[in-house]
This record gives sequence, C-alpha cells and structure tokens, in this order.
Amino acid sequence: MAKTKKWALKLTVLGDSAVGKTSLINKYITDSFSSDYQPTLGVNILTKDLRFEDNNSEIRLLLWDLAGQDKYELTRKMFFQGSVGSLLIYDKTRYSTFERISSKWLKDFKEYGRPDGVYILIGNKLDLKDTVKISSEEGRKLADEINAADFIETSAKYGENVEGAFEKLVYHVINMKSEKKT
Amino acid sequence: MIGDYQGFVKNKVLTALLQAYQDILDYDGMKSILKEAEMMHLKDIREKDPNGSLDMFSFKKIISAQNCLLFDSNILLFEIGKLFSFYLFPFGKSLEEIIKDINTSITTDWKVEIIKNDNNEITIQVDKCIFCSEIGIPCDMFKGFLVNSLEKSLSSEFQVVYDKNAEDVDDPNHNTFTLQLKIKKSIK
Repeated sequence: MAKTKKWALKLTVLGDSAVGKTSLINKYITDSFSSDYQPTLGVNILTKDLRFEDNNSEIRLLLWDLAGQDKYELTRKMFFQGSVGSLLIYDKTRYSTFERISSKWLKDFKEYGRPDGVYILIGNKLDLKDTVKISSEEGRKLADEINAADFIETSAKYGENVEGAFEKLVYHVINMKSEKKT
Repeated sequence: MIGDYQGFVKNKVLTALLQAYQDILDYDGMKSILKEAEMMHLKDIREKDPNGSLDMFSFKKIISAQNCLLFDSNILLFEIGKLFSFYLFPFGKSLEEIIKDINTSITTDWKVEIIKNDNNEITIQVDKCIFCSEIGIPCDMFKGFLVNSLEKSLSSEFQVVYDKNAEDVDDPNHNTFTLQLKIKKSIK
C-alpha cells in the first residue's frame, strides 16, 4: 500500500479587531459560535486535519488567528513567517475594516509572509442584513483589484459559507504548490 | 508523539518556557500550545508548585505541541529560545554554569557539553536534544537558548554569532549536533 503523504500548511487569518476572525475559525473547527466578544491576545493557533482519499494524503492546517489590535504591530510581523495562505476578513457592517484590507492587511501579508502566498477576501457578518454598509459588488470589485484568489461572503453566526471559505483557500494553496512543482 | 520518555524536568524550566511563550505569542498563544498538548492544568504551575518537577512525557508533549504549532516559524522558535534562557537564568551565571544547570534541571537521555572553548570561539555538543527530536523540526529554539546564554554573560560591546549551516531536518538523528558560537565586537 502506498505511503500516505503528510503535509502541514500554515494559514493566517487577518483583519481588523472584531471582524469575526476567531468566530469563523471556531465555527469551522468546532461548529460553535459565541456572541460575547473577547479580543484575541497575541495569537490563537488551532489545528484541523483534512484527509484526501483520492491522492492518499493528509493535511494538517495550522490556523493562525492574529490579534487585530494595533498594539500587536511589532510582534505580529514575526507571526507571518511560513504562511502560505491567508483569509483577509472585513466586517460588512463597518467600512473602515473594508478599507484596511488593502491599506493594512494585504500589505503586511505581502511584506512579511511568503511572496507566493495565496489569499482570499472574506466579507463576514452576512447575517446582519439591516446594517450592511459594503455591498457584494463592492467586495467583488476589491477582490479583483487586489488579485485575491476568491471572494466569499460568510456568516460565522449561522455557518454560511464558512467551511467553503477555508476549503477554497486550501484548494488554492495546493494548486499554487502543484503549479510550482510542474 | 512516539517514544519512551523517561526522566523529569524541574518546574522552573516549564515556568521559564511558559513565560517565554507568553512574551512572544502572548496569553492566547501560550494557551494554544498547552491546549494542543492537553496540558492546560499546568498553566499556573509557577504559583501552584514552583519547586516541584514534571515527568518527561508531559514535558515532551508540550515541546511536541510547540513544534507542531510553530512549524515553519523558526524565527519565533529562536526568539522563544532566547527568552527561555533569560527567564530560566535571569542573571549572574556563566555559560558553563548554565549548561551544568540545564543538564541537571532536565534529567533524561540527553547531554549538552562544551567541547571547545578558545576565548572567542566556543563549540557546544548537544546529544539527543529534547527540543527538536521530531523529524522536520530544526533546532532553532535551543540554538536561541545557547546564543542568549552566552550573550548575556558578555558586556554590551560584544555579540554572539553562530554557524547557520542548513540542518538536514529529515535525518532522524538531526537532534545530535554541534554548535559553534563566536564572540564578535559589535559594530556601533
């Protein structure tokens, strides 16, 4: 029997404070959601194992949930090392979080992460329909402008598109790695 | 985690390590490692039992969790190693004393030894390093520990540089290695 191929992928989850980074990860890993906001202190690192039967491989995702506050500016730079992919998250109800995607988070990822790193743009809090400030069209337009591999809108509260967001990022990272090999 | 880990570790070692995690990764980062190791009950070991000791298997679970979560993050591992030395031996010890102490504070099948000391060049032999026994994990953490252990015994006009030869981390014996530390005058 062929030996199972095992890899580890370090993925970073980026965005301003309170956009829902921790909630998205918790929903993806434990299918849980809490409406009490507790800011991340430094970095929260969680793992998720995926198995792909078709090519007999196992992938361990190392999900780095980076604190969004400015006070972590100095230490955060070191956290990007080895990151092959990122979810860039904004809150659909707060315009400032949308603006900071290109002015802050993408810039940091490109500067301190791997130059060939892949990223997906995520508009979170899809469920807060009455207070939405950023339309899907605006999100899609930004994704095109920044060359994001994909654009997805999610609701960490109800789980809408959450699994798909992480899986798409993994898919794009694997594709990038395979393209590099050929 | 595979292996039979015999021995014990003084709690002051774990306390220093947790403090180093907290300084670099902050509180949630430190908790992430303990959770991954299933060792959250040791979070407040400094207050509960500072003078006791821990079995090697539990300690190794924490190191394995660290190496798993910090995969591909060797800069962080190096910085954690430096702070680990700082908190374990905050002041007043020479490199020789630190090495003697670390061998007795972590009692297991491993050895750290100075094999050459020519004033400005020191060679350290590490046998079966417990901080990087996993395949695929470089030993940046313990190198950071050794670099800082020497550096803090020098006056500020000197710095320590070390040989950054690429390790073959796929070699199962890569955790036995020598490290050459050179003392150089800082350029101001």
